[in-house]
Amino acid sequence: MADGKLAANNSNTQDVKVDQENKENDDAGKNEKVKIDILLKATGNAPIMKKKKWAVDAEKPIGWIMEFIKKYLKLEPEEKLFLYVNQTFAPSPDQIVRNLYECFGTDGKLVLHYCKSQAWG
Amino acid sequence: MANDREVLREIWDGKLPICFQLAQEEIMDIQQPDPFYVMVPRLSYFPLVIDKMKRHFLRYISQENADSEMWLDYNDQPLKWHYPIGFLYDLFCGNDPQLPWTLTVHFTKFPEDILLHCPNKDVVEAHYMSTVKEADVLKHRGQVMSTMQKKDHSQLWLGLQNDKFDQFWAINRRLMESHGDSEGFKYIPIRIYSDDGTCNQRLVSPKNNDGSRKTLQQMISELYPEKNDFNLRTHGIILPLDTPLQWLSEHMSYPDNFLHLCIY
Repeated sequence: MADGKLAANNSNTQDVKVDQENKENDDAGKNEKVKIDILLKATGNAPIMKKKKWAVDAEKPIGWIMEFIKKYLKLEPEEKLFLYVNQTFAPSPDQIVRNLYECFGTDGKLVLHYCKSQAWG
Repeated sequence: MANDREVLREIWDGKLPICFQLAQEEIMDIQQPDPFYVMVPRLSYFPLVIDKMKRHFLRYISQENADSEMWLDYNDQPLKWHYPIGFLYDLFCGNDPQLPWTLTVHFTKFPEDILLHCPNKDVVEAHYMSTVKEADVLKHRGQVMSTMQKKDHSQLWLGLQNDKFDQFWAINRRLMESHGDSEGFKYIPIRIYSDDGTCNQRLVSPKNNDGSRKTLQQMISELYPEKNDFNLRTHGIILPLDTPLQWLSEHMSYPDNFLHLCIY
Protein backbone atom coordinates (compact mmCIF):
# COMPACT_ATOMS: atom_id res chain seq x y z
CA MET A 1 0.00 0.00 0.00
CA ALA A 2 1.09 3.53 -0.71
CA ASP A 3 0.68 4.95 2.76
CA GLY A 4 4.31 5.99 3.16
CA LYS A 5 4.98 9.68 3.47
CA LEU A 6 8.15 10.98 1.94
CA ALA A 7 10.31 13.25 4.02
CA ALA A 8 9.24 16.74 3.15
CA ASN A 9 12.62 18.39 3.39
CA ASN A 10 14.96 18.48 0.46
CA SER A 11 18.14 18.96 2.43
CA ASN A 12 21.20 16.75 2.30
CA THR A 13 22.74 16.18 5.65
CA GLN A 14 21.50 18.70 8.14
CA ASP A 15 19.35 16.33 10.13
CA VAL A 16 21.80 13.45 10.01
CA LYS A 17 23.26 12.91 13.47
CA VAL A 18 26.93 13.66 13.73
CA ASP A 19 29.13 12.48 16.58
CA GLN A 20 29.80 15.18 19.17
CA GLU A 21 33.48 15.68 18.40
CA ASN A 22 32.80 16.24 14.73
CA LYS A 23 30.08 18.79 15.14
CA GLU A 24 31.99 21.84 13.95
CA ASN A 25 33.04 20.09 10.81
CA ASP A 26 29.78 19.73 8.94
CA ASP A 27 30.96 19.43 5.34
CA ALA A 28 30.16 15.70 5.24
CA GLY A 29 33.78 14.54 5.08
CA LYS A 30 34.27 10.83 4.46
CA ASN A 31 35.96 10.18 7.81
CA GLU A 32 33.13 11.46 9.95
CA LYS A 33 31.25 8.81 11.83
CA VAL A 34 27.79 9.78 10.75
CA LYS A 35 25.12 7.63 12.36
CA ILE A 36 21.55 7.17 11.24
CA ASP A 37 18.69 5.95 13.42
CA ILE A 38 16.84 3.00 12.00
CA LEU A 39 13.67 1.40 13.36
CA LEU A 40 13.26 -2.32 12.67
CA LYS A 41 9.69 -3.61 12.59
CA ALA A 42 8.71 -7.23 12.27
CA THR A 43 5.95 -8.18 9.89
CA GLY A 44 4.23 -11.43 8.94
CA ASN A 45 5.73 -14.44 10.69
CA ALA A 46 9.01 -12.79 11.69
CA PRO A 47 10.01 -12.76 15.37
CA ILE A 48 10.01 -9.36 17.06
CA MET A 49 13.30 -7.79 18.12
CA LYS A 50 13.48 -6.66 21.76
CA LYS A 51 15.50 -3.61 20.77
CA LYS A 52 14.00 -2.03 17.69
CA LYS A 53 15.85 1.27 17.38
CA TRP A 54 19.49 1.23 16.33
CA ALA A 55 22.02 3.84 15.29
CA VAL A 56 24.03 2.59 12.33
CA ASP A 57 26.91 3.94 10.30
CA ALA A 58 25.42 5.91 7.40
CA GLU A 59 27.74 4.25 4.88
CA LYS A 60 26.73 0.67 5.77
CA PRO A 61 24.97 -1.30 3.03
CA ILE A 62 21.49 -2.76 3.55
CA GLY A 63 22.97 -6.26 3.21
CA TRP A 64 24.92 -5.61 6.41
CA ILE A 65 21.69 -4.75 8.26
CA MET A 66 20.05 -7.92 6.94
CA GLU A 67 22.95 -10.01 8.27
CA PHE A 68 22.72 -8.16 11.57
CA ILE A 69 18.99 -8.96 11.94
CA LYS A 70 19.57 -12.60 11.03
CA LYS A 71 22.26 -12.89 13.69
CA TYR A 72 20.17 -11.06 16.29
CA LEU A 73 17.19 -13.35 15.64
CA LYS A 74 19.51 -16.38 15.51
CA LEU A 75 18.19 -17.46 12.12
CA GLU A 76 19.89 -20.32 10.30
CA PRO A 77 22.22 -19.17 7.49
CA GLU A 78 19.90 -20.68 4.85
CA GLU A 79 16.78 -19.00 6.24
CA LYS A 80 15.61 -16.07 4.17
CA LEU A 81 15.03 -12.56 5.35
CA PHE A 82 13.32 -9.80 3.36
CA LEU A 83 13.64 -6.12 4.13
CA TYR A 84 11.27 -3.42 2.93
CA VAL A 85 11.18 0.37 2.79
CA ASN A 86 7.82 2.16 3.00
CA GLN A 87 6.21 -1.30 3.08
CA THR A 88 6.59 -1.17 -0.68
CA PHE A 89 9.94 -2.13 -2.13
CA ALA A 90 12.94 -4.26 -1.21
CA PRO A 91 16.12 -2.16 -1.47
CA SER A 92 19.17 -3.71 -3.10
CA PRO A 93 21.56 -5.22 -0.51
CA ASP A 94 24.35 -2.95 -1.78
CA GLN A 95 22.31 0.25 -1.35
CA ILE A 96 23.75 2.30 1.51
CA VAL A 97 21.65 3.37 4.50
CA ARG A 98 22.31 7.08 3.92
CA ASN A 99 20.73 7.06 0.45
CA LEU A 100 17.56 5.44 1.76
CA TYR A 101 17.40 7.73 4.78
CA GLU A 102 17.77 10.82 2.61
CA CYS A 103 14.89 9.76 0.35
CA PHE A 104 12.58 7.79 2.62
CA GLY A 105 13.44 8.80 6.19
CA THR A 106 10.63 10.22 8.36
CA ASP A 107 10.87 12.02 11.72
CA GLY A 108 14.64 11.65 11.82
CA LYS A 109 14.74 7.91 11.28
CA LEU A 110 14.49 5.24 8.63
CA VAL A 111 11.79 2.62 9.19
CA LEU A 112 12.54 -0.85 7.82
CA HIS A 113 10.13 -3.76 7.89
CA TYR A 114 11.55 -7.26 7.90
CA CYS A 115 9.93 -10.62 7.37
CA LYS A 116 10.83 -14.21 6.57
CA SER A 117 8.72 -14.52 3.46
CA GLN A 118 8.07 -12.10 0.63
CA ALA A 119 5.55 -9.54 1.88
CA TRP A 120 5.25 -6.80 -0.72
CA GLY A 121 6.35 -8.52 -3.89
CA MET B 1 4.32 12.52 -20.29
CA ALA B 2 7.05 11.06 -22.39
CA ASN B 3 6.14 12.57 -25.74
CA ASP B 4 9.38 12.57 -27.70
CA ARG B 5 8.98 9.09 -29.09
CA GLU B 6 12.05 9.36 -31.34
CA VAL B 7 14.19 9.92 -28.26
CA LEU B 8 12.64 6.95 -26.45
CA ARG B 9 13.27 4.78 -29.50
CA GLU B 10 16.90 5.90 -29.89
CA ILE B 11 17.61 5.17 -26.23
CA TRP B 12 15.88 1.78 -26.49
CA ASP B 13 17.85 0.80 -29.59
CA GLY B 14 21.25 1.61 -28.05
CA LYS B 15 23.55 -1.42 -28.30
CA LEU B 16 27.08 -2.32 -27.25
CA PRO B 17 29.45 -4.79 -28.93
CA ILE B 18 30.96 -7.05 -26.27
CA CYS B 19 33.92 -9.41 -26.55
CA PHE B 20 33.87 -12.07 -23.83
CA GLN B 21 37.13 -13.87 -23.01
CA LEU B 22 37.51 -16.78 -20.64
CA ALA B 23 39.93 -16.05 -17.77
CA GLN B 24 43.27 -17.75 -18.52
CA GLU B 25 43.41 -19.65 -15.23
CA GLU B 26 40.01 -21.24 -15.97
CA ILE B 27 41.04 -22.83 -19.25
CA MET B 28 41.48 -26.58 -18.83
CA ASP B 29 41.50 -27.51 -22.51
CA ILE B 30 44.65 -27.74 -24.66
CA GLN B 31 42.89 -25.63 -27.23
CA GLN B 32 42.37 -21.95 -26.44
CA PRO B 33 38.69 -20.96 -26.69
CA ASP B 34 37.77 -18.33 -29.26
CA PRO B 35 36.49 -15.10 -27.75
CA PHE B 36 32.71 -14.74 -27.93
CA TYR B 37 31.35 -11.61 -29.63
CA VAL B 38 27.81 -10.34 -29.20
CA MET B 39 25.79 -7.13 -29.59
CA VAL B 40 23.70 -6.48 -26.48
CA PRO B 41 21.05 -3.85 -25.66
CA ARG B 42 22.45 -1.13 -23.43
CA LEU B 43 19.22 -1.19 -21.39
CA SER B 44 19.40 -4.90 -20.58
CA TYR B 45 21.14 -6.80 -17.79
CA PHE B 46 24.01 -9.26 -18.22
CA PRO B 47 22.16 -12.35 -16.87
CA LEU B 48 19.58 -11.87 -19.66
CA VAL B 49 22.08 -11.95 -22.53
CA ILE B 50 24.80 -14.45 -21.62
CA ASP B 51 23.22 -17.92 -22.00
CA LYS B 52 24.90 -18.61 -25.35
CA MET B 53 28.21 -17.23 -24.19
CA LYS B 54 28.14 -19.48 -21.13
CA ARG B 55 27.48 -22.57 -23.26
CA HIS B 56 30.36 -21.57 -25.54
CA PHE B 57 32.89 -21.53 -22.70
CA LEU B 58 31.58 -24.42 -20.59
CA ARG B 59 33.50 -27.11 -22.46
CA TYR B 60 36.83 -25.38 -21.86
CA ILE B 61 36.62 -25.28 -18.08
CA SER B 62 37.09 -27.87 -15.37
CA GLN B 63 33.82 -29.82 -15.11
CA GLU B 64 33.76 -29.47 -11.35
CA ASN B 65 33.19 -25.72 -11.87
CA ALA B 66 30.49 -26.12 -14.51
CA ASP B 67 27.67 -25.56 -12.00
CA SER B 68 29.25 -22.69 -10.12
CA GLU B 69 28.05 -19.16 -10.64
CA MET B 70 29.59 -17.32 -13.57
CA TRP B 71 30.70 -13.70 -13.13
CA LEU B 72 32.32 -11.01 -15.23
CA ASP B 73 35.03 -8.44 -14.78
CA TYR B 74 36.41 -5.49 -16.70
CA ASN B 75 40.06 -4.66 -15.91
CA ASP B 76 39.87 -6.72 -12.69
CA GLN B 77 36.77 -4.86 -11.53
CA PRO B 78 33.83 -7.25 -11.00
CA LEU B 79 30.68 -6.12 -12.87
CA LYS B 80 27.46 -5.89 -10.86
CA TRP B 81 24.78 -7.75 -12.81
CA HIS B 82 21.99 -5.72 -11.21
CA TYR B 83 23.12 -2.53 -12.99
CA PRO B 84 22.05 -2.02 -16.62
CA ILE B 85 24.79 -2.95 -19.10
CA GLY B 86 24.97 0.48 -20.73
CA PHE B 87 25.37 2.14 -17.35
CA LEU B 88 28.28 -0.17 -16.44
CA TYR B 89 30.00 0.72 -19.71
CA ASP B 90 29.52 4.46 -19.09
CA LEU B 91 30.88 4.07 -15.55
CA PHE B 92 34.02 2.13 -16.49
CA CYS B 93 34.69 3.26 -20.08
CA GLY B 94 32.83 6.55 -20.42
CA ASN B 95 36.02 8.61 -20.57
CA ASP B 96 38.05 6.09 -22.49
CA PRO B 97 35.82 4.33 -25.04
CA GLN B 98 36.82 0.80 -25.85
CA LEU B 99 34.85 -1.07 -28.52
CA PRO B 100 34.21 -3.89 -28.53
CA TRP B 101 34.09 -3.87 -24.76
CA THR B 102 36.36 -6.73 -23.69
CA LEU B 103 35.21 -8.53 -20.55
CA THR B 104 36.67 -11.52 -18.71
CA VAL B 105 34.50 -14.50 -17.78
CA HIS B 106 35.05 -16.40 -14.51
CA PHE B 107 33.61 -19.57 -13.01
CA THR B 108 35.65 -19.61 -9.78
CA LYS B 109 36.62 -17.21 -6.98
CA PHE B 110 33.22 -15.47 -6.87
CA PRO B 111 33.83 -12.04 -5.22
CA GLU B 112 31.31 -12.46 -2.39
CA ASP B 113 32.02 -9.07 -0.85
CA ILE B 114 31.32 -7.16 -4.08
CA LEU B 115 28.72 -9.03 -6.13
CA LEU B 116 25.23 -10.21 -5.28
CA HIS B 117 24.37 -13.79 -6.17
CA CYS B 118 22.18 -14.34 -9.20
CA PRO B 119 21.10 -18.00 -9.29
CA ASN B 120 18.46 -17.41 -12.00
CA LYS B 121 16.55 -14.79 -13.99
CA ASP B 122 13.76 -14.60 -11.40
CA VAL B 123 16.24 -12.83 -9.14
CA VAL B 124 16.86 -10.24 -11.86
CA GLU B 125 13.11 -9.77 -12.30
CA ALA B 126 12.58 -9.32 -8.54
CA HIS B 127 15.37 -6.76 -8.40
CA TYR B 128 13.99 -4.95 -11.44
CA MET B 129 10.39 -4.80 -10.17
CA SER B 130 11.54 -3.58 -6.77
CA THR B 131 13.50 -0.73 -8.37
CA VAL B 132 10.48 0.28 -10.49
CA LYS B 133 8.38 0.32 -7.29
CA GLU B 134 10.93 2.49 -5.53
CA ALA B 135 10.90 4.92 -8.45
CA ASP B 136 7.09 5.03 -8.35
CA VAL B 137 7.15 5.82 -4.61
CA LEU B 138 9.30 8.84 -5.45
CA LYS B 139 7.22 9.93 -8.46
CA HIS B 140 3.64 9.16 -7.42
CA ARG B 141 3.82 7.89 -3.81
CA GLY B 142 3.69 4.39 -5.28
CA GLN B 143 0.13 4.81 -6.52
CA VAL B 144 0.67 3.74 -10.13
CA MET B 145 2.44 0.46 -9.37
CA SER B 146 -0.02 -0.45 -6.60
CA THR B 147 -3.04 0.05 -8.86
CA MET B 148 -1.56 -1.91 -11.77
CA GLN B 149 -2.43 -5.54 -12.21
CA LYS B 150 0.04 -8.38 -11.98
CA LYS B 151 -0.12 -8.87 -15.73
CA ASP B 152 0.92 -5.24 -16.27
CA HIS B 153 3.98 -5.79 -14.08
CA SER B 154 4.81 -8.91 -16.11
CA GLN B 155 4.38 -7.03 -19.36
CA LEU B 156 6.94 -4.44 -18.29
CA TRP B 157 9.45 -7.13 -17.45
CA LEU B 158 8.76 -9.24 -20.56
CA GLY B 159 8.98 -6.16 -22.77
CA LEU B 160 12.44 -5.47 -21.41
CA GLN B 161 13.57 -9.09 -21.40
CA ASN B 162 12.41 -9.71 -24.99
CA ASP B 163 13.46 -6.31 -26.33
CA LYS B 164 9.87 -5.34 -27.27
CA PHE B 165 9.62 -1.55 -27.27
CA ASP B 166 5.84 -1.29 -27.84
CA GLN B 167 5.00 -3.94 -25.26
CA PHE B 168 7.17 -2.20 -22.68
CA TRP B 169 6.03 1.37 -23.36
CA ALA B 170 2.31 0.46 -23.41
CA ILE B 171 2.71 0.02 -19.63
CA ASN B 172 5.66 2.26 -18.87
CA ARG B 173 3.86 5.35 -20.20
CA ARG B 174 1.52 5.14 -17.19
CA LEU B 175 4.55 5.35 -14.90
CA MET B 176 5.69 8.47 -16.77
CA GLU B 177 2.47 10.46 -16.29
CA SER B 178 2.24 13.42 -13.95
CA HIS B 179 -0.54 13.30 -11.37
CA GLY B 180 -2.78 15.95 -9.87
CA ASP B 181 -2.69 19.51 -11.10
CA SER B 182 1.08 19.69 -11.04
CA GLU B 183 3.18 19.36 -14.16
CA GLY B 184 5.75 16.81 -13.15
CA PHE B 185 6.63 14.13 -10.63
CA LYS B 186 6.73 14.59 -6.87
CA TYR B 187 10.41 13.66 -6.90
CA ILE B 188 12.78 12.56 -9.66
CA PRO B 189 14.15 9.00 -9.28
CA ILE B 190 17.85 9.62 -9.81
CA ARG B 191 21.15 8.02 -8.81
CA ILE B 192 24.42 9.82 -9.39
CA TYR B 193 27.62 7.78 -9.48
CA SER B 194 31.17 8.99 -9.03
CA ASP B 195 33.92 7.19 -10.93
CA ASP B 196 34.89 5.23 -7.81
CA GLY B 197 31.43 3.62 -8.07
CA THR B 198 29.90 5.32 -5.02
CA CYS B 199 26.25 6.18 -5.53
CA ASN B 200 24.36 9.21 -4.28
CA GLN B 201 20.60 9.14 -4.15
CA ARG B 202 18.83 12.23 -2.81
CA LEU B 203 15.33 13.69 -2.88
CA VAL B 204 15.25 15.89 -5.97
CA SER B 205 12.19 17.90 -6.95
CA PRO B 206 11.62 18.63 -10.65
CA LYS B 207 10.88 22.25 -9.72
CA ASN B 208 12.71 25.10 -8.07
CA ASN B 209 11.15 26.92 -5.13
CA ASP B 210 9.79 29.59 -7.49
CA GLY B 211 7.96 26.93 -9.52
CA SER B 212 10.30 27.04 -12.53
CA ARG B 213 11.63 23.83 -14.05
CA LYS B 214 14.80 22.64 -12.35
CA THR B 215 17.74 21.91 -14.64
CA LEU B 216 20.66 19.50 -14.24
CA GLN B 217 22.96 22.43 -13.50
CA GLN B 218 20.70 23.66 -10.68
CA MET B 219 20.41 20.19 -9.18
CA ILE B 220 24.17 19.63 -9.15
CA SER B 221 24.89 23.00 -7.55
CA GLU B 222 22.42 22.07 -4.78
CA LEU B 223 23.79 18.55 -4.22
CA TYR B 224 27.47 19.24 -4.86
CA PRO B 225 28.06 22.93 -4.02
CA GLU B 226 31.83 22.43 -4.32
CA LYS B 227 31.70 21.19 -7.92
CA ASN B 228 32.12 23.83 -10.62
CA ASP B 229 33.56 21.90 -13.50
CA PHE B 230 31.89 18.59 -14.21
CA ASN B 231 30.21 16.45 -16.84
CA LEU B 232 27.23 14.14 -16.56
CA ARG B 233 26.95 11.12 -18.81
CA THR B 234 24.18 8.60 -19.43
CA HIS B 235 23.44 6.30 -22.39
CA GLY B 236 26.86 7.23 -23.75
CA ILE B 237 25.82 10.88 -24.04
CA ILE B 238 27.22 13.92 -22.23
CA LEU B 239 24.09 15.75 -21.11
CA PRO B 240 23.56 19.47 -21.76
CA LEU B 241 23.39 21.01 -18.29
CA ASP B 242 20.37 23.15 -19.09
CA THR B 243 18.22 20.02 -19.61
CA PRO B 244 15.11 20.13 -17.38
CA LEU B 245 15.02 17.22 -14.92
CA GLN B 246 11.38 16.38 -15.61
CA TRP B 247 12.01 15.88 -19.35
CA LEU B 248 15.16 13.91 -18.59
CA SER B 249 13.32 11.61 -16.20
CA GLU B 250 10.52 10.93 -18.70
CA HIS B 251 12.80 10.26 -21.65
CA MET B 252 16.20 9.09 -20.44
CA SER B 253 15.44 6.94 -17.42
CA TYR B 254 16.49 3.31 -17.67
CA PRO B 255 13.67 0.74 -17.81
CA ASP B 256 13.89 0.54 -13.99
CA ASN B 257 12.53 4.14 -14.08
CA PHE B 258 15.69 5.62 -12.55
CA LEU B 259 18.08 8.08 -14.12
CA HIS B 260 21.57 6.63 -13.69
CA LEU B 261 24.08 9.43 -14.24
CA CYS B 262 27.88 9.27 -14.09
CA ILE B 263 29.49 12.47 -12.82
CA TYR B 264 33.14 13.27 -13.47
